[in-house]
Amino acid sequence: MFNGTVGGGAEDLPQLQSTMRAIELACSYIQINTNPAAAEATILSLHQSPQPYKACRFILENSQVAAARFQAAAAIKEAAIREWSFLSTEDKGGLISFCLGYVMQHANSADAYVFSKVSSVAAQLMKRGWLEFTPAEKEVFFYQINQAILGSRGLDVQFIGIHFLESLVSEFSPSTSSAMSLPREFHENCRKSLEQNYLKTFYSWAQDAALSVTNKIVESNSDVPEVKVCNAALRLMHQILNWEFRYSKGGTKGSINVFSDGIRSDTASARKTEAVIVQPGASWCDVLVSSSHVGWLINLYSSLRQKFALEGYWLDCPVAVSARKLIVQLCSLAGEVFPSNNAQMREQHLLLLLSGVLPWIDPPDVISKEIEEGRSGSEMIDGCRALLSIATVTTPDVFDRLLRSIRPFGTLTLLSLLMGEVVKVLLANSNDEETWSYEARDILLDTWTTLLTSMDGSGGNAWLPPEGMHAAASLFSLIAESELKLASASATTDEDDSDCLASVSAMDERLGSYALIARAAVDATVPFLTKLFSDRVARLHQGRGTVDPTETLEEVYSLLLIIGHVLADEGEGETALVPDALQSHFVDVVEAGNHPVVLLSSSIVKFAEQCLDANMRSSIFSPRLMEAVIWFLARWSFTYLMLVENCNLGSNQLQSLPSRACLFTFFNEHNQGKFVLDIIVRISLTSLMSYPGEKDLQELTCHQLLHALVRRRNICFHLLSLDSWRNLANAFANDKSLFLLNGVSQRSLAQTLVLSAYGMRSSNASNQYVKDLMAHMTSSLVDLANNSDLKNLAQQPEIIMLVSCVLERLRGAASATEPRTQRAIYEMGLSVMNPVLRLLEVYKHESAVIYLLLKFVVDWVDGQISYLEAHETTGVVNFCMSLLQIYSSHNIGKISLSLSSTLLNEAKTEKYKDLRALLQLLSHLCSKDMVDFSSDSIETQSTNISQVVFFGLHIITPLITLELLKYPKLCFDYFSLISHMLEVYPETLAQLNSDAFNHVLTTVDFGLHQQDVDIVTMCLRALKALASYHYKETKDGNTGLGSHAAGHTDPNGVFREGILSRFLRTLLQFLLFEDYSTDLVSTAADALFPLILCEPNLYQGLGNELIEKQGNPNFKTRLANALQVLTTSNQLSSSLDRLNYQRFRKNLNNFLIEVRGFLKTK
Amino acid sequence: MSDEEHHFESSDAGASKTYPQQAGNIRKGGHIVIKGRPCKVVEVSTSKTGKHGHAKCHFVAIDIFTAKKLEDIVPSSHNCDVPHVNRIDYQLIDISEDGFVSLLTDSGGTKDDLKLPTDDNLSALMKSGFEEGKDVVVSVMSSMGEEQICAVKEVGGGK
Repeated sequence: MFNGTVGGGAEDLPQLQSTMRAIELACSYIQINTNPAAAEATILSLHQSPQPYKACRFILENSQVAAARFQAAAAIKEAAIREWSFLSTEDKGGLISFCLGYVMQHANSADAYVFSKVSSVAAQLMKRGWLEFTPAEKEVFFYQINQAILGSRGLDVQFIGIHFLESLVSEFSPSTSSAMSLPREFHENCRKSLEQNYLKTFYSWAQDAALSVTNKIVESNSDVPEVKVCNAALRLMHQILNWEFRYSKGGTKGSINVFSDGIRSDTASARKTEAVIVQPGASWCDVLVSSSHVGWLINLYSSLRQKFALEGYWLDCPVAVSARKLIVQLCSLAGEVFPSNNAQMREQHLLLLLSGVLPWIDPPDVISKEIEEGRSGSEMIDGCRALLSIATVTTPDVFDRLLRSIRPFGTLTLLSLLMGEVVKVLLANSNDEETWSYEARDILLDTWTTLLTSMDGSGGNAWLPPEGMHAAASLFSLIAESELKLASASATTDEDDSDCLASVSAMDERLGSYALIARAAVDATVPFLTKLFSDRVARLHQGRGTVDPTETLEEVYSLLLIIGHVLADEGEGETALVPDALQSHFVDVVEAGNHPVVLLSSSIVKFAEQCLDANMRSSIFSPRLMEAVIWFLARWSFTYLMLVENCNLGSNQLQSLPSRACLFTFFNEHNQGKFVLDIIVRISLTSLMSYPGEKDLQELTCHQLLHALVRRRNICFHLLSLDSWRNLANAFANDKSLFLLNGVSQRSLAQTLVLSAYGMRSSNASNQYVKDLMAHMTSSLVDLANNSDLKNLAQQPEIIMLVSCVLERLRGAASATEPRTQRAIYEMGLSVMNPVLRLLEVYKHESAVIYLLLKFVVDWVDGQISYLEAHETTGVVNFCMSLLQIYSSHNIGKISLSLSSTLLNEAKTEKYKDLRALLQLLSHLCSKDMVDFSSDSIETQSTNISQVVFFGLHIITPLITLELLKYPKLCFDYFSLISHMLEVYPETLAQLNSDAFNHVLTTVDFGLHQQDVDIVTMCLRALKALASYHYKETKDGNTGLGSHAAGHTDPNGVFREGILSRFLRTLLQFLLFEDYSTDLVSTAADALFPLILCEPNLYQGLGNELIEKQGNPNFKTRLANALQVLTTSNQLSSSLDRLNYQRFRKNLNNFLIEVRGFLKTK
Repeated sequence: MSDEEHHFESSDAGASKTYPQQAGNIRKGGHIVIKGRPCKVVEVSTSKTGKHGHAKCHFVAIDIFTAKKLEDIVPSSHNCDVPHVNRIDYQLIDISEDGFVSLLTDSGGTKDDLKLPTDDNLSALMKSGFEEGKDVVVSVMSSMGEEQICAVKEVGGGK
């Protein structure tokens, strides 16, 4: 539409004007929402027209409509980035200086967004050309900017200059850079160059600019224009310090001894904080530390503070906010910026900042009162952030010491007071969320966590200084009391508590931080918790039957959670050690019975035991309380019960402490361990049997408690000798009431019981144990399947329920397969193979049962396949194929009817889940070729797995419609299976009949056009495998893909292209004309290269076609050259080895940069 | 048709049409009787009566015949009625002028009391499949004395 050729002269003024009017009109149409589609098309055509620069410049300079100028700037950017590779050097420079000049000239006019846009366009173009401009060329631009920032051209221009640098820095920073369809390497080089050569200069320019206006601001009594410049400079400094410094570190990180001077570098510890450590490197010392930069900043802010009452200034005015942000950021300055032998300098730096921050947070009570009376809380919150930042870069000792030189107490005490104040305020306004106190509490909690985790990891004997310990203890008791108050207050509120179970883990993080505080002062906090707990329990007993216990119950609930966190860490699958603090303190305890941790644990176990009594259960042990009890027992037993010496203890220098020894021996197998284990098992059985319908409680019991017990091998030995465990196993096999558990719990319980078989002394005994346990289930399935009236019987709800339960249990047992019990579980599966097929037949309409059947088979095959001998494998494979065939025969061509769209959607989802299970089944079968423990030698004639899997795919692919592939998980599973199959067994694919072959490849074609990068990658890998297989085979004189690749003439006489030709077309089309992530280019290159080698003639033809289509003779030659270079440069040869693939990747990257710009221009 | 239905129901009164099952055990995708109607559960959520009370299940279910949405709240340890839902496949042997279909039962008899489904697509599919001479199998769902054609499948054949 717009023809913006460069060569025009003044004669096309009317044309420029008409373009401008068209764009202005389109913009105003969009604003009033009249025919927006057409208006957008108009604007888009400007963006996409070749070389629209002249028109754009014209619009920028002449248009009165701000939106039109904005669009013109956007069009310059888009066109220039696209056409960059064939713009002349003058044009490139010209566009940048035009943009820069434009913003400076119009610095004082309104419409800020247009200026932001234009200056960001300038920044983007500057970056695009960054690696090709000579230093002298860059110097020209930067001289101009420096002049502006120095203020010689007025405040507005000064502001614009700073603003431009802000855009530039953000453009160069990887997380905020805009896409240029260039490889990552380019962005990385730009970033490196800027960081090493310019960043520090920019910072000092900003410093100078800010300094130059400071006096004016300090002396003024109202809002002056200088404030704007100062704010921009502060923002720029903040942004520069946010830069992820990478290249200025001399030497590796490990070579610096960071612990020697009390400053640490463990930045990796996970916190939810936003405190990023600023490590700009040694060269920044003069700018940031040894100059009076910090002092200036602190003074600036304190003079701003005094003006908050004046007009134009307030606590949250932009310049104050920016100044505070920068102060907080400077608090986290660390690394080589401080000379490594000068710890004092660092402490001086931090002290200076802390003294500046102190008025924001001290005295805490006065400040919190002011805030409650209406002052803004942001300054105080920034103060908390500053403490957090300081905590991130110091050890607790240094942290505490900082304040001592100016106050009679240490920083830890201040932190404790401050947080205590915040907790109080929080308790008072517990009903409304979103208050400042929430935010402050989280930040302060992070500060504690930061300080205390650093101690936890350093060997366990690093204690806080005594005063700090005291501060932690009093803070913790305040926290605990306030948590309990909150709990009892919330006990009766019937908030829609659907997250019962979730609430246990939701508070996890917060309670974890509380626990760290508690552990910093265990001498005081553990006895304190014991007392709280026994108080509440006594209260429960006193009031039994007379007083409503709800509030106390809720308190006990909270206490159990808190104590659980204090005593033990979350194992997350690993062995959780007894926390160091609990091991190393209490040195004077010699008798186990007096150890505070033992006392606390015993009192809770004793309390929990009371739930075995039916009366107590009904009056005290509500389902919710039981959840907490079970949760606590699970967590506690994993850390304390029957420890194996030297495994749960960790190894450190505390081995010999007697207090530690009694902590460990008390709950071991020779002491109270067995007794406590028995109680725990009985409590579990109670919670499973006596709380019917309490799903959450039962899941917690099965998943967390019982499962955690059997994961420990030494506990299994003891479990099997307990009567209570035998009762549980018996109840599982025979008792109807355990059939009432929900499916997930059934499965988990079966898994747990099978896993416990490990405790048997021999493999035979283990197998026998599993057999006895499951015999009842398998025989019930066999009996049912053999029943002559199966068809009618099976439809009865009670039978459906029974079958579902049994299947869940079988699945649970199957997923517990271990070498020791593998035989028993193999036989279990073998005995139900036929029943499974029969049930698949009779339940074809009962999708829920079908899914369970499939999942059982999937898990069973997964567990067994790698152990099976050849003849067993054949049996299992045949079984799986029958399963697939029966399933497919029921579902192909079936159309369900329901009046309800919800039910139809459900049906679709069910189908998706079934198919996903079947794909998983095939993937598991595939693994037989990779992992095989059978005793057969390789030579033994065994099932050809690849053929089986392709056959399986052949059965189920017709069920996988393109519609169903829209489910991301199914899509992922399907394509990972396909790409795996093509990569590993291309020869088997070649043997497929043409229908099956085509179906597989149609889906690959579909996958190539997906949005998901992973899917496209997998398809490209599949293509690579296919093409390289064909190429290598045909080179050796074999047929390769044979007729599939050769193409054929269909019955109507139309020639159908071979499959590789088709994909060559598709892939070229994709690479040249479509939008995709640059990450895909390498993988695409790997696929394209063998395709080109397979079909060189077609490739030539396509290339010529492309060249012919270009109207512009200049582009024609460029394209021809580029195509030539693509296949010849870098000594590319025609063999498919690693080196050649690498070369081709490079070539393709360059090729795309060279030609995509003009090919995509419409 | 309603007369016939009524008749069927009363003659069948002795056989159990429902089965009691603990509410906590009824899952999404399962069946439940709500307000005397057989339904399929599409959503289950649990809540408690007060923090330390017992769990309740909240069911959202859809009538399998009328597609009406129904809801119920039951303490999770109590029993709910689960309907006996039967689905039987028949081969289609005739479609009469008035919209009734003739189905071949397993025992060789015919079943002539069902109408074409109201869904246009499905009935068109049945008609066209039937006219082309394909083997058409229909699934009939029955529960609590009502029946309805719920799925159709062509097994091949044809000219």
